[in-house]
Amino acid sequence: MEKKLIGCPVCIEHKKYSRNALLFNLGLVCDARTKTCALEPIVKKLSGYLTTLELESGFISNEESKQKLLPILSTLLEELNVTGACTLPIGYICVFYLSVSPSVDVIVFIITLSRSFMTDDSNTIHLKLIEQRKDPLVVQEYDVPVFTKNKDHFIKSQWDLTTQQILPFVDGYRHIQKISAEADVELNLVRIAVQNLLYYEVVTLVSIFQYSNVYCTTPKVQNLIDKKCLQEECIHYVSKLGQRTNLRDVFQLYCGLTPGTTVRDLCSRYSHQLQRVDERKLIQFGLMKGLIRRLQKYPVKVVRDERSRPPRLYTGCHSYDEICCKTGMSYKELDERLENDPNIVVCWK
Amino acid sequence: MYKQWSVDLNSDAKLMPKQVESSLQPNGEKTSPISVILVSSGSRGNKLLFRYPFQRVSENTSSATSKQRSPYVLNTSGDSVEDQDGDSREQTPLTDEQLVAGFSDSILATILATKSDMCGKKFELKIDNVRFVGHPTLLQPPHTIQVSKTDPSPKRELPTMILFSVVFALRANADASVINCMHNLSRRIAIALQHEERRCQYLTREAKLMLAVQDEVTTMTETDGTPQSPFRQILPKCKLARDLKEAYDSLCTTGVVRLHINNWLEVSFCLPHKIHRVGGKHIPPEALERSLKAIRPYHALLLLDNEKALLAQLPLDCSPALVRLIKTCSAVKNLQQLAQDADLALLQVFQIAAHLVYWGKAIIIYPLCENNVYMLSPHANICIYSPLAEQFALQFPGHDLPSMLAKFSLPVSLSEFRNPLDAPVHEAQLIQMVVWMLQHRLLFQLHTYVCLMVPPVEEEPGLREEEPPLVTRVIGRSLSTPSALSFGSPTSSDDMTLTSPSMDNSSAELQTGGDSPLNKRMTETLLASLTEHERQAILRVPAAQNPEDLRLFARLLHYFRGHHHLEEIMYNENMRRSQLKTLFDKFRSVLVITNHEDPIISLFQSPPD
Repeated sequence: MEKKLIGCPVCIEHKKYSRNALLFNLGLVCDARTKTCALEPIVKKLSGYLTTLELESGFISNEESKQKLLPILSTLLEELNVTGACTLPIGYICVFYLSVSPSVDVIVFIITLSRSFMTDDSNTIHLKLIEQRKDPLVVQEYDVPVFTKNKDHFIKSQWDLTTQQILPFVDGYRHIQKISAEADVELNLVRIAVQNLLYYEVVTLVSIFQYSNVYCTTPKVQNLIDKKCLQEECIHYVSKLGQRTNLRDVFQLYCGLTPGTTVRDLCSRYSHQLQRVDERKLIQFGLMKGLIRRLQKYPVKVVRDERSRPPRLYTGCHSYDEICCKTGMSYKELDERLENDPNIVVCWK
Repeated sequence: MYKQWSVDLNSDAKLMPKQVESSLQPNGEKTSPISVILVSSGSRGNKLLFRYPFQRVSENTSSATSKQRSPYVLNTSGDSVEDQDGDSREQTPLTDEQLVAGFSDSILATILATKSDMCGKKFELKIDNVRFVGHPTLLQPPHTIQVSKTDPSPKRELPTMILFSVVFALRANADASVINCMHNLSRRIAIALQHEERRCQYLTREAKLMLAVQDEVTTMTETDGTPQSPFRQILPKCKLARDLKEAYDSLCTTGVVRLHINNWLEVSFCLPHKIHRVGGKHIPPEALERSLKAIRPYHALLLLDNEKALLAQLPLDCSPALVRLIKTCSAVKNLQQLAQDADLALLQVFQIAAHLVYWGKAIIIYPLCENNVYMLSPHANICIYSPLAEQFALQFPGHDLPSMLAKFSLPVSLSEFRNPLDAPVHEAQLIQMVVWMLQHRLLFQLHTYVCLMVPPVEEEPGLREEEPPLVTRVIGRSLSTPSALSFGSPTSSDDMTLTSPSMDNSSAELQTGGDSPLNKRMTETLLASLTEHERQAILRVPAAQNPEDLRLFARLLHYFRGHHHLEEIMYNENMRRSQLKTLFDKFRSVLVITNHEDPIISLFQSPPD
């Protein structure tokens, strides 16, 4: 049949009905291949509303008012398919509001059995189809949130209070711990707020920027060659104010990032290319688009003797970023401390 | 049947320990089924023959239903607390058992046993958080039933089964690919059962047994009053029930199912989502298939088990080509040479290799060679407490994994790795370590990619235009078979020397020396694909004055788009590494070089995000 049916059957038992029960089902018919999990809440809600209507005023069981369903259903179908939003008048003052994303094609059917009487009522129903996104990553205190779209595009008053408070500090350079300290908001609240923003794909996470960081290219760096729109976006993003760099310089800079090369080294080697490029924005853009990735350092204590305590942080599971955040040490201090320990090896990955 | 999958630390080159970990996954694992159910429909109506796991207590039939109710109805009259938003996410998540246990046997039988016109097609039904998927199969064409009705002989009055279905219950939010795989398995079991039924009425016999036990237990419950699960009694008596239980258990743990229906027909199946897991994430089957289609003859097949163990797992009637291939396979041989050594066609080798990769028995790598550069994979587990570290220590006593891995923090070539400044470790053992690390997805290989980028004019950055004829020539050469192939093992000092004649533009003409007009024209044609600005920039390079160099550069121009790595150019154009490197050096002012992993085979080391 190649079609998918989504319905929510309802049974209302009452002596007034001919078979002591009214069974009905309002459903949607879609193409079998589309993803329709977002339509389920709409179907469920509609069945709930219809149930309420029936219980309050016998809307469905009455033949007359049942006729009103026909125009309702056709409006529903049209508007859901075209705009994804819908306003349905029922009776005199009864309105359904529905909304769905326009990518789903929908046909509507309804089955009713049995009969009863009617009165009209005033009810307003709002439905909205929410696109289901995948669960966001856990946000760590050493992650840096950066806006993927222009911050000013958002109506700030629509966000919750915590998010509003931290918004001015989300600049793509401050990490979660710093935001929490400067905005005076508790760390976990900041993490949850950022995770929320991550869910709606308003921000993405990058790592802390330091001149001692090491990055390397990924296969996606070739997208910069293949996709013209990405080139434009990149040049626009990384160029210094009032200047405009060119693709070759930018590409050379990205390809200059190799394991073992710090950002500081890059700056000294490619100083000519960096005349018109802001290196912090360069790194930020590269991380956001996956053109480059950060190589993190992981200290591992290679335990030789049984007497020493098992390592807590030097297990190979915690990066320098994490250790420094948790212990408050700086990179340099951590480096010095670990260099003196012959039992510790450092892996970069 | 499970023995081969247990982690046996005493033998070498074993499976990834993640396969064992998956049995400890918490409830709600999206790729495991919740339940397996066998239903049938026949002259006696719809029956649920078997389900596994059992319900603990069969209390669900007593849920206050005094009248006949349609099983599809949602009872709303007694339920005033309705979530008005209709949010399908559960407030208190039910455990998997509860999800399916809520459906009584008779309800399941009614909804899962379809009518005959739904047979032979995929059956999928989602109720709230449970998704049922199966493949209803007709046992006999309908007209024979009518025959039996008109025939007055008493034998024909035996109840006949018209159709049956093996249904898997999954979590509703399972991936579409998981659902398809489960459907596939249901179909395979159905085909086997259908065959056995036609041959010796196997299914009807098993069904009779199952129903008999169910009736027995029901009567016992009525007399004793103690509720019992009939399915527990069925298990020891019915082979089919045991097979279904085994399928379910395998799917939940290893993802590999091997059944012998009626001890005769083998049904084998693997769930790629369980088999291909790297760093906790699974590689989606579509990505896997894309990678497999892009394998080239210069890639190699690396077995993940040792040869003997792998051969032991194969069924007796497997293809001899497969056995030959496994025996001749090696990490240093590319697929081309493997085809010659095993005396198989290259295409067949590709197919067998893809098959082995799909079943999680092998991965695709670039053959081991002196100049290969390896680096630590970002998904590698370098924790000292990981099971990998233990395995490594057992395999290579005296060495620990983190120290070895630290050596690959910076990209290091195999030749560099083999000459460590410290202890004189046996060279062969070092190679074995690298192979071990590759098998366990700890390392990936870096390749060099080249891109043409000329210095810009003031206004516009120089961007090459597409040139269709050259592009098609590159694509067209993919599977054509060069006749001879030889290259060095890691012990040889120099690069790989490949002989690959008879490529259509591998230009024997261009290789004749001298500045003949033919050659000049060829060069000009090849450079014609570039913009004027680019051409000028290239000709300005001092090396361009040398016609040989310019010719070579023009010939290789179509590789300089960042999609072909050095080794591929070497293979296709039959050149040595040193030649290419010198060329790149000469033209470095118009080229940009970068190193990263091969996106085609890096899938096996790090799944896509």
